[in-house]
Amino acid sequence: MGKNVLLVDDSSTMRKIIGRSLRQAGIDFENIYEAADGLEALEILESKKVDIVLSDINMPNMDGISFLREKASRAAIKDIPVLMISTETGDDIIGEAKSLGAVGSIKKPFTPDKVNEILGPLL
Amino acid sequence: MEDEFDIASEIVKGAQDVFSTMLMIELESEDALFNKGCEIQSNLTSMIGLGGGIRGVLAIHCPATVAKAITSGFLGMEVLELDDDVKDAIGEIANMVAGNLKVAYATIAINIELAIPTSIVGESFNMSGAAKSQRIIVPLKMNGEQFWIELMYVVN
Repeated sequence: MGKNVLLVDDSSTMRKIIGRSLRQAGIDFENIYEAADGLEALEILESKKVDIVLSDINMPNMDGISFLREKASRAAIKDIPVLMISTETGDDIIGEAKSLGAVGSIKKPFTPDKVNEILGPLL
Repeated sequence: MEDEFDIASEIVKGAQDVFSTMLMIELESEDALFNKGCEIQSNLTSMIGLGGGIRGVLAIHCPATVAKAITSGFLGMEVLELDDDVKDAIGEIANMVAGNLKVAYATIAINIELAIPTSIVGESFNMSGAAKSQRIIVPLKMNGEQFWIELMYVVN
């Protein structure tokens, strides 16, 4: 059975670009779910089977850091890996994301090859 | 070190990085304008607020043709109107250019915080910043068509 991914970004364009990058990188997911912020992402994680999450950091309503913190407090979903895709590169914020369970980060802008290089080993 | 920091050059490098990486388009740049205006023929402006070590706004001003071409490149489909997809796409460009500027400023120990992008469709408005704001306008060309990146800021 194929794997399922959840893309979390307030930009619908960026979600489409990431989805297309996954396909161009040859990473074939059975389902690509989308959420516009951390709150929507939590709802999807509670109701769908998701194997990995790719999440932005700067988002309205619930940002990526708050999303990681909330997810870590929920037993049913806390172990689902999250890879950050963001313009944020600072050691402080990426360090905080990793301390809350993020398994890595990809800087925007990115190429499909970069997505494959970082995401591939996690699948 | 801040005095030697070439902000206009960093904006150009950041924009070129975004366009070459995400759209496989090489941008041409022209001389930047410092603290003076120029004729900007824009139909869509996306701006992102900056806080922390500098306060201000970074804006991308695009004619409709450029905004639609960028969005078409992003989405891999023809775009006919300045719709929500176009506003969202140019907002993401502003976000990534500001992100690259944030990385550049970090090299001189200035931390910038980024807000969420906002896009405006329209032609008849002017941007103005806080008193004593610095203003830099960088004219760029994508496939021969001009657009502009503007940074209006005050160093804290």
